[in-house]
Amino acid sequence: MIHPVDSLLALVLLSVLISFASSRLPTLIKAVAFQGVVVSIVPFFMGHDLTVGGVVFTLATMVIRGIGIPLCIYLAIKKVAIKREVEPIIGYNASLLAGLLLIVAAAFVSPKFNLPQISVNALLLPTAITLLVAGMFLLMARRNAIAMVLGYIMMENGIYVVGTSFSLRAHHIVEFGILLDVLAGVMIMAIILQNIKQTFDDVDTAHLRTLKE
Amino acid sequence: MLAINPFFLAVGIILGSGILPLLFLWRRFVLMKAVASFGITAGCLIGLIDAILKLSHGVDWASSASYLHAFRLAFHMDGLSAFFLMAIFLVSLLAAVYSYHYMDDAQKTIRVAVHYLFFSLLVASMALVVTAANMITFMLCWEIMSLSSFFLVVYNYENDGNRKAGYLYFIFSQVGAMVILAAFGVIYSHAASFGFEGAAALPETAKLLVFVLAFIGFGSKAGVFPFHVWLPHAHPAAPSHISAIMSGVMIKCGIYGILRIYALLGWHTPLSGYIVLVAGMISGILGVVYALGQHDIKRLLAYHSVENIGIILIGIGLGMVGVAAGNPVMALLGFGGGLLHVLNHAIFKSLLFMGAGMVLHKTGTRTIDVLGGVIKKMPITGTTFLIGSLAICGLPPFNGFVSEFMIYIGGFRGAALGQADFALSLLAIVSLAVIGGLALACFTKVMGVVFQGEPRSRAAEAVNEKGTSMITPMVVLAGACLVIGVFPGVFAGMALKAAEALQLGYGRVPLAPFMQLTGNITLGALLFFTVLVSILVLRIFLYRGKSVTASGTWGCGFTQPTARMQYTGSSYAGSILEFFGPLAPLEENHPPIEGRFPAKTYYQSHVHDIAERHMQGVIVSPVLAAFDKLRWLQHGDIHLYIGYILLAIVVLLFFV
Repeated sequence: MIHPVDSLLALVLLSVLISFASSRLPTLIKAVAFQGVVVSIVPFFMGHDLTVGGVVFTLATMVIRGIGIPLCIYLAIKKVAIKREVEPIIGYNASLLAGLLLIVAAAFVSPKFNLPQISVNALLLPTAITLLVAGMFLLMARRNAIAMVLGYIMMENGIYVVGTSFSLRAHHIVEFGILLDVLAGVMIMAIILQNIKQTFDDVDTAHLRTLKE
Repeated sequence: MLAINPFFLAVGIILGSGILPLLFLWRRFVLMKAVASFGITAGCLIGLIDAILKLSHGVDWASSASYLHAFRLAFHMDGLSAFFLMAIFLVSLLAAVYSYHYMDDAQKTIRVAVHYLFFSLLVASMALVVTAANMITFMLCWEIMSLSSFFLVVYNYENDGNRKAGYLYFIFSQVGAMVILAAFGVIYSHAASFGFEGAAALPETAKLLVFVLAFIGFGSKAGVFPFHVWLPHAHPAAPSHISAIMSGVMIKCGIYGILRIYALLGWHTPLSGYIVLVAGMISGILGVVYALGQHDIKRLLAYHSVENIGIILIGIGLGMVGVAAGNPVMALLGFGGGLLHVLNHAIFKSLLFMGAGMVLHKTGTRTIDVLGGVIKKMPITGTTFLIGSLAICGLPPFNGFVSEFMIYIGGFRGAALGQADFALSLLAIVSLAVIGGLALACFTKVMGVVFQGEPRSRAAEAVNEKGTSMITPMVVLAGACLVIGVFPGVFAGMALKAAEALQLGYGRVPLAPFMQLTGNITLGALLFFTVLVSILVLRIFLYRGKSVTASGTWGCGFTQPTARMQYTGSSYAGSILEFFGPLAPLEENHPPIEGRFPAKTYYQSHVHDIAERHMQGVIVSPVLAAFDKLRWLQHGDIHLYIGYILLAIVVLLFFV
């Protein structure tokens, strides 16, 4: 029988592929939001003892990760007229292929880490690695700054997946540490975005090249 | 438990009075200054009394606390720590008092508040460095010390030169710390604990490696030639009381480190003594030669720090040789003399920096050759500076004489040993003599050109002596020079107690021969004063009823003398520098005087520091060239930068 956690993680992997293939920002945002929600509810199915505090924490994480941040980004691109195109450096088909290869590679690499805590759920570590590297990939392969922010959030999702399985005891502290990181990161990026937008009248990060000394 | 410990109480008060100004008081300039300098003074006073009590009662004290659940912060105070603490708290106390009137620019309120924050951090971290009892604690405090002093060096950051000096200091202190860390790493790899205790069980070769690494690392902080390059740049850049602390006590933390590592290794071979001795002789002689060629009074004093670190190392080196040769008296004379010189140098060097700071504060210039006649307007500064100068030259009846005398006698004891010990001891004696002579030449230059004669510029004319808080510390320090010089018994005893902590295995040190020595010094000093007073009385008696007229210095009977007829510092030092030409290349720029009606001419000279020059050629230029070749890595494409991060992570994942 397939463990519910594994089926959830399969959804996460699918969301990665969707995000790689989407050409429009709203789709990308939705994919990442979906991913955030799914990743956040994984702890419910891990078989941890769920205290009231634990439930509240997990739900709070879900609200911030899955709804709060994506909604803010969505409203932001609606308000200021930012191009809806993600402006890929690497094309969609190539990205999709890379994503597939990435999942395979992650599945291939993860047993080598030899982490006993994670071996219960076969997909946990491959998903985490995929999310981390996929986030990096989005950061590298998309010129639109908003898409890069979303890549960053995807990386944080990956860290969260590793964190939930690793730290059963200090789980919530770690989680909130990560969330704080995400919030700070998104805020800093928002400020940088604002500056890029003001300076270049666009959020295409390729313009940053001109800043080289 | 922590709260009632006087040492932590002192450190706490110092830190608190550094943080307070920045939080609440920076709107009220005078109140802020008063609170900060009073608080630091009070903290230092508590610490000073505690250190003296612990030293005289010989109390060992230890304390430790867990830090971040991962490390233990451990502190331990023995005689050696207490001795250094005494010097640290004494100089910091007086520097804090001095800062009250020195920091008088009400426009820079916030900057002064920040300065007090780093000041307090520096004092507290120095106190913690000399009491740290494991590697983590030591490195933590060491780094805080280096960083806080870096921020103090760049206090006047508008000045391009000061920023450069700051960066130079930063690089040197960080590379030094890296080397120290490497030394600790070697200890850790054998002992597998962060405690210092495992060091004694190291194999011989590892001990040599640890000692050499630690000597380089601590030497770069102490300003041992050729790692002294930062010192003459950083010390003039900092505010004067900070220079006093840095030169007086902070660089001594390097000496402390060398002594501590020596004690921990318990490695009594002559080799360590030879290394220290040779480094000391080179630093001593070259330090004073370069000092002689300087035109900037604070830079000159900074080079004298290099020289005095050399003298201290000669003392310590003789001590090590003595231990290795099984000669307790020579060992104790060497270590005791070196340690006493640590205290003495702290006292007279901070006195000299404060005097130089007073001159700088009132005239706005540090250039020796534009000053002159300052002692007439600033009698107290001039007199105390004179006392400091006599002390640094090692002349009786001041404190520098006592410690150098102990080192000399240690050297003569060593000369009786034969073989290599004989040659090196003799060389040590000769270099001490050369250092003393050159230091005398250097300070006659400073005294003669800055304080005596006639003012050479408008700035030197319009001076006055105001600021009680600046004058008081100088008077106290000058008093201390005299007291130690006349009654050295107590202080030599303290230094010997500190040397006991080096684990030489002599048990209780028999003090009788040393007391006899110091008693003779006291007797000599008293005789000197008797002669001095009787001559003064005789002078008053003989000159009674005769008319005494005063006229300009270097007037030479001209009716219209000008200040430009005076001897200059450059010309005074020139002939000595020529002799040391190969070691201290003198660059002169002087268009010759030609024709019957010569045009206006000028003279410029600059002494090159060979360590600085070679370091530039051998290390700095190749490194810069190598990094220039890597410029293409910085292409400005943010996506590829992220790629670098990914690449680094992947590489780490596979190789670590």
